[in-house]
Amino acid sequence: MIVLRRIATGLVVLWAAATAAYLALLAAPGSTVDSIIGDGADTPLIRAQIIEEWGLDRPAVVQYLDYLWRAAQGDLGRSYLLQRPVRDVIADQIGPTLTLAVAAAGLGALLALTLAVTTRRPWARRVSSTAELVVVSTPPFLIGIVLLSVFSFNLGWFPVSGGQGVASLVLPAMTLALPVAGVLTQVLRDGIDRALDEPFVVTARARGLGERAVLVRHALRHALLPAVTLTGWLFGTLLGGAVIIETVFGRPGLGQVTLQAVNSADMPVVLAVVVFSAFVYVVINTLADLSYLLIDPRLRPAAAVPAGSVPASSASSSPPTGA
Amino acid sequence: MRRRSLLIAAVATVLVAGCSGSAGTDSAAAGEPVSGGSLTWGVETEPITLNPHQYAQAKARLLVWNTFEALLTHDDKGGYVPWLASGYEVSPDGLTYTVKLRTGVTFSDGTPFDAAAVKANVDLLRSDGYAPQVAAVQLKNLKSVDVVDPATVKYTLSSPDVLILDFLSSPQGAVVSPKSLKEAANLKAGGPDLAGTGPFILDRYTPGQELHYKRNPSYRDRAAYLDEVTYRFLKESSVRVGALTSGQVQVIEGVPATDQAQITGNPSLTLSKGLNSGSAYSYYFNVTHAPFDDIRVRQAFRDALDVDTVLNGVYRGTATRAWSVIGPTSPLYDKSLEGTYGNNPERANATLDAAGWTQRDADGFRVKDGKRLTVRLVQSAPFVRDRRDILAQAVQAAVKQSAGIDLHVSVVDQGTATAALEKGEYEVFDNSRADTDAGAALNLLLSSAGAINRLGIADKKVDTLLADGQASSDPAARAEIYQTLQQKVIADDALIQPLYAPADQIAASKKVGGLGFEPTAGVPASAYNLWLSK
Repeated sequence: MIVLRRIATGLVVLWAAATAAYLALLAAPGSTVDSIIGDGADTPLIRAQIIEEWGLDRPAVVQYLDYLWRAAQGDLGRSYLLQRPVRDVIADQIGPTLTLAVAAAGLGALLALTLAVTTRRPWARRVSSTAELVVVSTPPFLIGIVLLSVFSFNLGWFPVSGGQGVASLVLPAMTLALPVAGVLTQVLRDGIDRALDEPFVVTARARGLGERAVLVRHALRHALLPAVTLTGWLFGTLLGGAVIIETVFGRPGLGQVTLQAVNSADMPVVLAVVVFSAFVYVVINTLADLSYLLIDPRLRPAAAVPAGSVPASSASSSPPTGA
Repeated sequence: MRRRSLLIAAVATVLVAGCSGSAGTDSAAAGEPVSGGSLTWGVETEPITLNPHQYAQAKARLLVWNTFEALLTHDDKGGYVPWLASGYEVSPDGLTYTVKLRTGVTFSDGTPFDAAAVKANVDLLRSDGYAPQVAAVQLKNLKSVDVVDPATVKYTLSSPDVLILDFLSSPQGAVVSPKSLKEAANLKAGGPDLAGTGPFILDRYTPGQELHYKRNPSYRDRAAYLDEVTYRFLKESSVRVGALTSGQVQVIEGVPATDQAQITGNPSLTLSKGLNSGSAYSYYFNVTHAPFDDIRVRQAFRDALDVDTVLNGVYRGTATRAWSVIGPTSPLYDKSLEGTYGNNPERANATLDAAGWTQRDADGFRVKDGKRLTVRLVQSAPFVRDRRDILAQAVQAAVKQSAGIDLHVSVVDQGTATAALEKGEYEVFDNSRADTDAGAALNLLLSSAGAINRLGIADKKVDTLLADGQASSDPAARAEIYQTLQQKVIADDALIQPLYAPADQIAASKKVGGLGFEPTAGVPASAYNLWLSK
């Protein structure tokens, strides 16, 4: 039941995203014919041929319904600009972007966890906070150029451009991961601070648990919830950041395709990217919701709580026990 | 039949082989040509399509000519020489072009190159929905194309048009294997599916990342020196320069003024520049409404501007000033225009006073009948290159300071720009075209029926000159016709503010030999003549 409702909601979100993008492109100045002609020669004959070829003389509603109908069948149409099926365009570029996003997310989370746990001492915390602030407020473009100059152009450790295996993934992933880690670390650290003030920490300490165990097994678990809530934001950052990273590092990927498509009002590609982003957004947020249940047993339906856990009703402010 | 230029294949071979070497750069450091090796070249622009018939980006020429060849090509004086042709004849009435083809040439997919293959290409170009721009502009006057025998093709025109030769030497006129025209999965996008006759074969394309070519082992003449060449897309100029200085790539193109010192200051690198053919980058004045419907305002705008100072400020001495709408390297260029106008603020101010723009408002701009002397320039962001947005700001400051003209610059998305141009909501239109024959560019820009005649002029004399220039096949007569035309639009009517001649830059390691530019076009040449010294 819950699953069905989730899927239905997801479909509504996808439809809304596709429709909003369609309306936005319709409202944008200039016609589709202009976009296809681009910088080229512009004569009535050429215009007529383009209108004929793409069926642009049909009413906007018909074009919209036609688009939805074909999209529902998995046909995303053909790119005006690249003259290839949109499905091929996306399929070509999705791999590199996903690789980059996953690598950056993983690296960012790892960095954030490590920093939040290890920089508990006041001086370390000050150093770390300053560094976090710097990377969060530096444009990713600049971070990328600096990393490239140092580690690629001067030290020669990593290649600049895309298809050279794992080595060429390090710098772009790092560029994207640094700002993400900056924000996550601050959220985690605040969460840990709050958790350490809770009574259950006193209880845990009283049971003779060491400070490190208290931190990792109890406080960190509490601090993870707000961090997980940020996943949606994190995905947006990664996708948005990919546009810049792919340009700076000469990497293939969806970011470049999107930028080019938006610039030239390549309607089929823009729509496909919007729908795809919405889809991933829905999936990621669903996963985030589910992961709350893993992190915090109190949120699970009573029947699903594993034996041995503290029942939700009697655990108002007590800790998850740490499996 | 008049024999115009029936050249034999042997001569053509030499000329084509020298095609990119003749405008060549200092390759002394690389020594004698050696065979073998693989080279990586960092390029700025990823081609929208790899199908030569669909070609629309000057930056894609260096890629097109690796895999494809046209019937003709250019020599360094702007003349035509045979390439896949062995010669051609023009009938005295200028209506029939008979082209003799080389024999024994095969496409890289094994299909033989012959008259039927050439006809298949032209037929496709003229079919509905394939390449409307080529059909409507370059092949406008083509009535029919016929196979005379396997080695002879006849083009019949409906009216004399020497620009058919420009088509035959352009990427759109490149000959693609008819087999791949039928079988390619994404014909319009091109790619490894399309086979040509050129010295390299495109065997791998990773969109967004790189193009990989391998040597065509069965190329009919001398095989290319390089075993393989990779073009990597590096859109950010500082990244291209960094990749070159750190040895990750051996050649880059597109080196902005700000980065050139890094190249010239490095003893192991070379920098060379080629001026593009076609039309110079210019501001075209919209004469359909005020204030540029008044010739005095147009003259004043040009007098108010010191082009040299503005170019120096923006391009640090690396730009070549233009004096005419035709680029200085074109054989049609009128040199006598140099130094005849501009940089005369006193005259600009006197002219504006005489034209009634006597008042000034609080911001120092000239006013007439309560209206400010504002002229709008709308730039389409995707097509702004060479920092033309910054250049516009420099011009804006210059004409404001010296004559109180308000140049209003906006950089917008393409749709907004096109909408503004269609509605006539602009007074200045900026453009440069990279056509190899400047006449082709002027047809689009200045003819009353021109596809991008954004000046809004409909001048019988201009139309006649353009038609004569297109119909005449005598180079000297053509040069004279286009000189008269330039005198009219630049000197007499002040319709255009020429700014600079677009150029391409190549920076490379000194180990790379054979670098150069295409003659006439002035853009980087293909990889055919490149070699890598050990």
